[in-house]
Amino acid sequence: MRTQTENAARVVVIGAGMAGARLAARVPGVTVIGEETHAPYNRVLLAEVLAGRYAAEVITLPPAEVRRGVRAVRIDRADRLVHCDDGSAVGYERLVLATGSNPVLPPLRGLGTTMPDGVHAFRTLDDCLALREAVRQHTGTGVRAVVIGGGLLGVSAARALAECGAQVVLAQQGEHLMERQLDAGAAGLLRRHLESLGVEVHTECRVRGLRCADGTVRAVELADGYELAAEITVLACGVRPRTGLARAAGLDVRTGVVVDDELRTSDPYIHAVGDCAEHRGTLYGLAGPALEQADVLAEVLAGRLARYDGTRALTRLTLRGPPADPAGVLDLAAFGDSRPLPGDDVVRLADATRGAYRAVVVRGDRLAGGVLLGDLAAVGTLARTWEDDEPLPAETSLLHLLTNDGGF
Amino acid sequence: MPVSTSPTDRTSDLPTIVVVGHGMVGQRFLEALAERGLTAAAGTTRVVVLCEEPRAAYDRVQLTSYFAGRNPDDLSLVEPGFMERHGFELYLGNPAESLDREARTVTARSGETFAYDTLVLATGSYPFVPPVPGKDAEGCFVYRTVEDLLAIEEYAKTATSGAVVGGGLLGLEAAGALKGLGLDTHVVEFAPRLMPVQVDEGGGAALLRTIESLGLTVHTGVGTQEVTAGEDGSVNGMSLSDGSSLATDLVVFSAGVRPRDQLARDCGLTVGQRGGIVVDEECRTSDPAVFAIGECALASDGRVYGLVAPGYEMAQTVAEVIAGKQAAFTGADLSTKLKLLGVDVASFGDAHGTAEGCLDVVYADSRSGVYKKLVIGRDGTLLGGVLVGDADQYGTLRPMTGTVLPVAPERLVLPAGAGGPVTLGPSALPDEAVICSCHNVTKGAICEHTTLPEVKTCTKAGTGCGSCVKVIGQLLPQSQDRGLCGCFSYTRSELYEIVRTLHITSYAELLDSHGREAARGGDGCEICKPTVGSVIASLAPTLGASGYVLDGEQAALQDTNDHFLANLQRNGSYSIVPRIPGGEITPEKLIVIGEVARDFGLYTKITGGQRIDMFGARVDQLPLIWTRLVDAGFESGHAYGKSLRTVKSCVGQTWCRYGVQDSVKMAIDLELRYRGLRSPHKLKSAVSGCARECAEARGKDFGIIATAGGWNLYVGGNGGAEPRHADLLAQDLSDAELVCLIDRFLMFYIRTADRLERTSTWLDRIEGGLGHVRDVLVHDSLGLCEELERLMADHVAGYRDEWAETINDPERLRRFVTFVNAPDAPDPSVRFTPERGQVKPDLDILAGPVLAVRTLEGTSSR
Repeated sequence: MRTQTENAARVVVIGAGMAGARLAARVPGVTVIGEETHAPYNRVLLAEVLAGRYAAEVITLPPAEVRRGVRAVRIDRADRLVHCDDGSAVGYERLVLATGSNPVLPPLRGLGTTMPDGVHAFRTLDDCLALREAVRQHTGTGVRAVVIGGGLLGVSAARALAECGAQVVLAQQGEHLMERQLDAGAAGLLRRHLESLGVEVHTECRVRGLRCADGTVRAVELADGYELAAEITVLACGVRPRTGLARAAGLDVRTGVVVDDELRTSDPYIHAVGDCAEHRGTLYGLAGPALEQADVLAEVLAGRLARYDGTRALTRLTLRGPPADPAGVLDLAAFGDSRPLPGDDVVRLADATRGAYRAVVVRGDRLAGGVLLGDLAAVGTLARTWEDDEPLPAETSLLHLLTNDGGF
Repeated sequence: MPVSTSPTDRTSDLPTIVVVGHGMVGQRFLEALAERGLTAAAGTTRVVVLCEEPRAAYDRVQLTSYFAGRNPDDLSLVEPGFMERHGFELYLGNPAESLDREARTVTARSGETFAYDTLVLATGSYPFVPPVPGKDAEGCFVYRTVEDLLAIEEYAKTATSGAVVGGGLLGLEAAGALKGLGLDTHVVEFAPRLMPVQVDEGGGAALLRTIESLGLTVHTGVGTQEVTAGEDGSVNGMSLSDGSSLATDLVVFSAGVRPRDQLARDCGLTVGQRGGIVVDEECRTSDPAVFAIGECALASDGRVYGLVAPGYEMAQTVAEVIAGKQAAFTGADLSTKLKLLGVDVASFGDAHGTAEGCLDVVYADSRSGVYKKLVIGRDGTLLGGVLVGDADQYGTLRPMTGTVLPVAPERLVLPAGAGGPVTLGPSALPDEAVICSCHNVTKGAICEHTTLPEVKTCTKAGTGCGSCVKVIGQLLPQSQDRGLCGCFSYTRSELYEIVRTLHITSYAELLDSHGREAARGGDGCEICKPTVGSVIASLAPTLGASGYVLDGEQAALQDTNDHFLANLQRNGSYSIVPRIPGGEITPEKLIVIGEVARDFGLYTKITGGQRIDMFGARVDQLPLIWTRLVDAGFESGHAYGKSLRTVKSCVGQTWCRYGVQDSVKMAIDLELRYRGLRSPHKLKSAVSGCARECAEARGKDFGIIATAGGWNLYVGGNGGAEPRHADLLAQDLSDAELVCLIDRFLMFYIRTADRLERTSTWLDRIEGGLGHVRDVLVHDSLGLCEELERLMADHVAGYRDEWAETINDPERLRRFVTFVNAPDAPDPSVRFTPERGQVKPDLDILAGPVLAVRTLEGTSSR
């Protein structure tokens, strides 16, 4: 049984996150099935909501037609139907998986099938509002919060919690913060910035378990036996693509749902975009590429010629200064692989006295990665060079990549 | 037998100092004794020196330069005749074998026994050879003495590869030497980076890359487990701690040095747990009659210093103590700057950033092999640094250790040309900053002298490693002569005052009365002639001299452009710019210009100064062209002169809906007032009728912008290669006030500026800057204003048009011929070809594309 619409192919999108909402805005007449009850919102700004800087409504994305609070539970590829948890079935001619990703629950003692009270993920607006409420309940005493994980998400969460008055400890298992984006030098400066906000940062610090009483978390146990007392624990240990539907439907799934340059899965009637999609072996896990993929897919679905050949975008993060020094904003931009391999060329310009760190890694004749922290004057040049991916001249100094914007 | 003086009866009664060891520190100690008169020659002290090596002290730091072609004698540190002159008894190849502290005697290898009152141990150090199996095989060497070098050189003749154990300073020196001997060279360093003591991880990485690019193979993070030998007992390889092995014909151990304290141990002197003869702050050992200095001593701060500079300091200390004075060695700076295999490496102060809360400022570029790190304290003071690959700033940075840097530290680590120039010179250093760390000489001590040889002789600064010589040069007074040129020892403004007060009206008179002795009676030079010519021309009306620049002797003073009252162009033709005050011109006059240009075949172009330039006139045509122009009411625009060019204007209130004053009228008035005024450099001006500034007045030497309340005067602006916005001197001036203030400004500038100094540079240079100029001109702080105004009034009254003066005087006209001996013949080399409907110079007929004519500035007017 096929549900026939008029002329345009009926497009159904599963997931009302940033990619899904973008598709809804670009492709007229789509049906979007969204699990969350909120209207689609800008996930990048969740930390600002947590920090109390924005109200939840402020980060709402442009309105789109979404079936909210409905979860897709099964895809019937033969009949081209999506079965939902409310018992309904939606027929499609083209299906787009924009299921996003799930927070990773680390293997911690005390973290079983149910989350103890006081333990939060930091992924959705509901997570964010719950965290905010928990902090608010403890105001006056200064709630003790432990953030487990020192990646982009953990750093954002720690900073936001500190900003709204929590005593924050960040426990990072790796050698330094934001290992995926930063090298050790830049991470050192980032750490100093977080510490200036009052965040206590522990690196190479493995969390062994959660100590709970009455179903509520009381402390975080470290591998070396220490305990960090905590009313709130935030899990920021990374995300995994949500591929369950695709896997069950028999689509080609590696880590993510495998897509080609037209963002098509192994089923020509099904596409995937955003965090759940794996394109040429890459899972981006960032908003920028997700939006770019949605834009390309919108063209493809409209029958126009469009290809997605990867995103070479910079990761940007802005951390506000401590209350005493509101001007002390830390800006950060990173791209590619900023950790050099043997034989790579590295140009580094670091001035800890003003919290500035700039480094690029050049592999062969190409820019391989880089990080700018504290001083983003060169970001324009660098972003262009990174996007262009042209061979760099061999003779000239690489320093111009870091100072070309008129310097300082 | 001593190689120098034998003990005589006279000297044997004197108190005796025995020095054990004649290395760099031993020799420095002898020099320190000589400086204090503690010598046999001075009749105060007998000094015996026992030296193990067969040669007297030489520069061990420069050891490797032996392979660069210096012979061992070049490395000697002992001046010829030094020993003899001071009566030092030096025994070569005759080391001390034992000490008897009770009897106070030293027994040498030769069996001779020397009694001492004071014993100084300067036994230095020996190379550490790790206790690995096979370390004594044939083909294993150390790298310490000239003799070691000779042996390595000999053995290398039959070898093809070599390995150095140790990637420190000496190890890299040795590796460079092996490479230089043509061996395939390996460096094996146990630490994870090269030069682990001196540089940090980043510096080691930069060093590694450069050294590998020189063709050396570096193995870091591995130890030597065994040296393997072939059947003949000679080295054939090494096995390393990571399980790999290395084939090599020759091994040099350079894994550090250990103090030579055996002699001291044997006689019961206290030695440190890890070696080194324990000394106090006076460098005295546990026996008050025995001192130890240099690398064999464990100093009072608990360190053994392996560098030559601290050794020298100890030598000085002991000499001072023996002379009965107070001195102490409490520790030394471990700063070093070296060139290793062509790579500059320097470290100073707290190079590893061990201070609490210190911050690093780093620039690292692996491609160019540069790594620079400064360690900055919490309070902003410079604590130390590491420089690899480019250590030019070592000389200035090291002495600044402990002070707050005057510029952002980041700018000091960036290479030249990036992020703007760094103008941190040695003048920024405090007097107590140590410039020469080899000899511990401060900036204050150096600044007492005036020449480099004098500094070297009197302070010894710059005679050690030599890294400070460049800085010393910058500290010494630059030539004090501020004179204009080789003919005058006065500056232009001084000459101006002389001419003005003494009423000197000719160049020859000035040269003969005020020139340098040697220049008097001569012809002067190309610098002072036009300068003095301009000064006299500026003052001519006041002096009563002829203002006409081509009169009499004045003519010979001028540059080519002034000489012909026109601008020389590239093919030898001239261009003509009539004055068009304020850019206002009638149709009739425009037609005349058009006709003249047509009739003489001239190329015409509108200039940037709102005038019309006519190009391509031959010298002999100039008077004819001027005659036509002067007849039509034109006069010279002085486009050729160091004088007022134009006063540009916008159309102003008369026509423009936004204008608030009549800018055109003001521009015309000003241009006519200051026309012909000779000045140190050209003068440009503009008048804008409102704040929209269409006339670009703030890019001019003096610019006027109309306001609702009058005029704002801006001075010191410039376009061109070094643009500068003019500064506001005064605002809301009435017409009369404006003119009066400009009068003062121009005359003050003419009076005080240097030759060829535009108002912009003058204003930046003059002491007190704009504030001072305003005080003088507006508030009359020097009481000069009346005189300045009078001088300008004289100029205005005395102005005459140079073109009209020329064409009305047959005598003056005679100058305008190409060939003096054939007045009517035109210059055959001045030819033209057509382009875009006009002519252009035909350069092909000239010998070269550029005429070898010297002018002081671009010739076309703007």
